[in-house]
Amino acid sequence: MSEQKIIEIEVLRYLPESDQAPHSEVYKVPFTDDMSVLQGVQYIKDNFDGSLTFRWSCRMAICGSCGMMINGVPKLSCETFIRDYYPRRISVEALDNFPIEKDLVVDLSGFIEKLEAIQPYIIPKEPRTVEQGEYIQTPAQFAEYIQYTSCINCMLCYAACPHTGLDPDFVGPGAMALLHRYNMDSRDGGQAQRMELAASEDGVFVCGATGYCSEVCPKKVDPGNAVNINKINAAKDYFLRFLSPKGGAK
Amino acid sequence: MEIYKADVVIVGGGGSGLRAAIAVAESDPSLKIALVSKVYPMRSHTVAAEGGAAGVKRADDSLDYHFHDTVGGGDWLCEQDVVEYFVEQAPIELTRLEHWGCPWSRAADGHVNVRPFGGMKIQRTWFAADKSGFHILHTLFQTSIKYPSIKRFDEYFCIDLLEEDGRCQGVVAIEMGTGEFTMIEGKAVILATGGAGRVFRESTLGGIVTGDGMALAFRHGVALRDMEFMQYHPTCMPITGLLFTEACRGEGGYLVNKDGYRYLQDYGLGPLQDKPKNKYMELGPRDRLSQAFWHEQQKGRTIEHPVFGSVVHLDLRHLGEAYLHERLPLIYEMSETFMGIDPAKDPVPVRPGIHYTMGGVRVDGKCETSLSGLYAIGECASVGIHGANRLGSNSLTELLVFGRLAGDEAAKRAKSLPPGDSASLLKQAQEAEQRVLALKTKTGGTERMSTIRKEMVKSMEDGCGIYRLEETMQKTCDKLGELRERFRNISLDDKSDVWNTDWLYTIELDYQLDVAQAMAHSAINRKESRGAHQRLDGPDGAYTQRDDVNYLKHSDAYYVPGSAPRIDYGDVKITKSPPAARAYGAAGEKADQERNASHV
Amino acid sequence: MSKRRPYVRSMDGWWKKNPFYVEYMIHEGTALFVAAYAIVLTVGLVCLGQGEAAWNGWLEAMQSPLSIIFHLVLLVAIAYHAFTWFKLFPLTMPPIVLNGKKMEPCAIVGAGWTAGVVAALALFVIVWGIAA
Repeated sequence: MSEQKIIEIEVLRYLPESDQAPHSEVYKVPFTDDMSVLQGVQYIKDNFDGSLTFRWSCRMAICGSCGMMINGVPKLSCETFIRDYYPRRISVEALDNFPIEKDLVVDLSGFIEKLEAIQPYIIPKEPRTVEQGEYIQTPAQFAEYIQYTSCINCMLCYAACPHTGLDPDFVGPGAMALLHRYNMDSRDGGQAQRMELAASEDGVFVCGATGYCSEVCPKKVDPGNAVNINKINAAKDYFLRFLSPKGGAK
Repeated sequence: MEIYKADVVIVGGGGSGLRAAIAVAESDPSLKIALVSKVYPMRSHTVAAEGGAAGVKRADDSLDYHFHDTVGGGDWLCEQDVVEYFVEQAPIELTRLEHWGCPWSRAADGHVNVRPFGGMKIQRTWFAADKSGFHILHTLFQTSIKYPSIKRFDEYFCIDLLEEDGRCQGVVAIEMGTGEFTMIEGKAVILATGGAGRVFRESTLGGIVTGDGMALAFRHGVALRDMEFMQYHPTCMPITGLLFTEACRGEGGYLVNKDGYRYLQDYGLGPLQDKPKNKYMELGPRDRLSQAFWHEQQKGRTIEHPVFGSVVHLDLRHLGEAYLHERLPLIYEMSETFMGIDPAKDPVPVRPGIHYTMGGVRVDGKCETSLSGLYAIGECASVGIHGANRLGSNSLTELLVFGRLAGDEAAKRAKSLPPGDSASLLKQAQEAEQRVLALKTKTGGTERMSTIRKEMVKSMEDGCGIYRLEETMQKTCDKLGELRERFRNISLDDKSDVWNTDWLYTIELDYQLDVAQAMAHSAINRKESRGAHQRLDGPDGAYTQRDDVNYLKHSDAYYVPGSAPRIDYGDVKITKSPPAARAYGAAGEKADQERNASHV
Repeated sequence: MSKRRPYVRSMDGWWKKNPFYVEYMIHEGTALFVAAYAIVLTVGLVCLGQGEAAWNGWLEAMQSPLSIIFHLVLLVAIAYHAFTWFKLFPLTMPPIVLNGKKMEPCAIVGAGWTAGVVAALALFVIVWGIAA
C-alpha cells in the first residue's frame, strides 16, 4: 500500500434538531492516493462521527447521489480525489442553491417536481405496436439527442446556476436538458406541449447565460446549451404565432 | 403513524420495480400503486449496469439458442420452463423499451444493434453504449412519470412486511427525511429491492445493495433459494471493485497475464481467437473466467502490483481510441479518472470482484412467493433463470420480463380481493416501529456498527470466495453467528430523527447479517462444485466435481429466529435440456454439434 | 410533528464566491460600456444633424484628453465584453454539424472571432476609402 498521509477535511455540518444554523467541523483523515473525497467523508462517518450524513451509492459517477461543494466547486465526491488537494485543506459543503436538510443532504423535491413537469417521456409522433418492431433511427437522428440523454440528475448544474438560487422556480439546466432530449428525439412528437413550460415565466428566459452549469457537468451534457437553444426555439414560436394563420405552435 | 391505502405496493424503484409499476398502471389505471424506495428511483443500482440486455434479435439466432446458452451457463440449475418463458418475452420487452425512448445503440441502417457477450452463442445483447443500465433505468423512471396512478414514496426505507390471514397485505416504512413511520397497505406486495452483494468487501456494487427485500421475506418464512451462488465478475477495478463491463471483451478486449499471455486458452476456452468469437476465450462465462484468474494467481502468473495486489491486464489498446470512445465511453472515462490510465495506450489492471446474487427470494414462474400476495422480482428474487451462474446481459432483461409479469399478476390479484383489516395491520406496524426504534434509542452498547460491517464483509470474502473450503466456510458461519450476537450490543452515534443514516445503515446491517448467514450456510451444505460455487475439498476431492445425483437441487434457506438458517433442498425443473457436460471453446462447439446430431 | 427544518443559505454576494461568476458579472457590467459608446455615437449623429458648428463642437469634445481617456477605458471594457461574448458562442448557439461531426467549441469561438475581425477590417477599409 502507498504511504498514508493525513488530510484535513472541513465539513459544513447542520443538524436540524440541534443547530440553528450550519457550522464547520474539521476532521483529520488518513488517506491513500487512491481515495476519493467520498471515501474521506465515509471514513469520518465510520470512525469519528456516525451522525455525519450524506447521500452516496454507486461510487462510479453514474448514480448521481454524491454531489457536494468541494472547495466551493460542485463536484461528484466519488470521482474527486483527495490527493489532488493535499496538503491543502478540503472544504466540503452541501450543494449550493438547495435547502440543506442535514449536513450534506439537500432537499431535491423541487427538482423532482420540475422533472415531472417537463413530460420526460416519449409522446409518440406515430404510435407503434411491438409487432411492428422498433423505430428506425438513423445515425444523424440519433446524434441529435443522445448527448442530452446522459444527464444523471446529479444536481451539480443547479448548484452552479445562480439564477436557480435567485429564482428557485426556474426549471433549470438539468430538467431543460431532458426536455430538449425528448424534443430532439425522432420518435417524439411532444415538442409543442413541452415548449409551453420552456417559454413560460419559469422557463428558459430566467437563464442569464452564466454557462457555469455546462462547465461543472460531469457527463458533458452541456445543459446550458439546451437552455439557450430553447430561448431561440421559444422566440421562434412566439414570432411565428403572428405569422401563421392558425396561430402557429401553441 | 401515517396510513396510505394502495392496491399494489412495490418495494424498490430500480428497473424491475419501475417496470412492475408501469405494468400495473397500464393494466388498470384505477389501481393505486405505491412505489416505495430508499433512494430516488434513478439512483437505484440498475443504473450501474453497463454491457446490455439479452434478447434474440438477429435472423441467425433463435429462442432455442438463447434457452440453451442460459441453461448451460447456469450449470443446469435453472427452472427450464421459466427460462423458456423468459427468452420468448425478452425481445418483446426490449422492443417496448425502445418505444419508450431507450437510446439503444444503432447499426448504420438505423436498426437496434446487438453485441457479443460471454457464454452467448450468437450476438444478442442490446446495448446503449456501455451505459445500458443507466439508460434503461432513466427511461423507465421517466416513463413512469406519465402514469398518475403511481404514487412514489421516494426515500422511504422499508422495515417490515405486514401479514394477516396468511396473506401479505402491506409494508411499514420510515420516511427518511423525518424519521416518521408510514404504513402502506396493499392487496399485493412486490419486492424489487435488488441484490445483496454488499455483504462482501470488494464488489462492483453500490452502497444500497444490502439485500433488504431478501431479509424481509426470509423473516416471514419465505425461502431464500440458491444463495451460495455469488457471481464474481472477472474484470473489476482493484480495491474499489468498480466494474469494467464484459462488453470490453465482447468488443474484442484481451485478458493477459504477467507474460502478456492470453491465459484463458489454458482453461478449456481455447483455441486462441484473434477476433471475438462467441463462447470462446474472453467470451467464456463469468464463473470460468474468475476461476481462471484464481488458478493463474496460484501459479504465480498474475501481475503483482504494489497498490492493487494481484491483477491481470485487460488489454483494449488494439481497439483504438475512436472505437473505445464510441462503444465503451464510460470505461474510458473510468480508467482515466479512477486509475489515471488511458486504455487506448495502456492495458488496464483488473481482478475479479463480487457482482451479482444469483439466488434470492424463492418465487414460482409467476413471481409469487410461498407467502400469498407477496411477489419478488429482479435480483432480489430467484425465479430460476440464472441457476448456478448468470450469463451477462440476462439480468437487465429479467428486470423487464418479470417486472412486467409480476405487475400484471399483482394487478389481477388486487382487483379480485377486498381491502384488508386496517386495525389489525396497524397493530403489527406499530410493533415493527417499536422494534426498529429500539435500535436507535438503545444506550450503553459498546459495539460500533461500522466495525461489525467490516468484519462481516471480510469474513464473507474469506469463506465464500471463488474457491471454497469446508474449514474456511465454517469459520465464516461461526463469525456470522458471533456478529449476530454482537449486533445486539451496537450503540449509535446519532439518536436524531431527521435523516438518520446511522440508524438506517444499522437496519441494513441487520438485513445483511441474515442474508450473509443464508449464503454461508447454503454454501457449506452444498458438497459439490457447480457454476459459481466451487469447492476444493471433499473425500478424494469429491466436492470438486458437479454431483447431479445428490445436488441437482435448489438449496432453500429458511429463517430460524435466533439461530443459523435451516437448509433444505428442492427439485429443479427440467423440460428439454437434460444435464450435460458444460463446455466452452472448441469442446463446447463439439458438444453442440453432437447434441444437434442426436436431435435429428 | 415533523422535525425537518431545511436551512436556506443566503444568496447575498453570490457573485463574489467564484471566479466564474465574477467574470460573468464583469461581462454583464461591460455591456453598459457598449451602451455608453452607442450614446456617444448617437450624440455625434444628432450634432451632425444640427449643422456644422455643432458637429465641429462634438469633434472637438472627442479630442479632449478626458474623452481620449474615456475612449481608452471603453476600448478595454468593450474588448473584454467582446472576448467573453465570443466565449459564450458555443453555449448559446445551436450545435453546428459539419460533415456529420459536431463543431468543436474552440472552432466556434475561432470562427466568431474571424468573422468579427473580418467585419471590422471591412468597415475600416470602407470608411478609410470614403474619407480618402
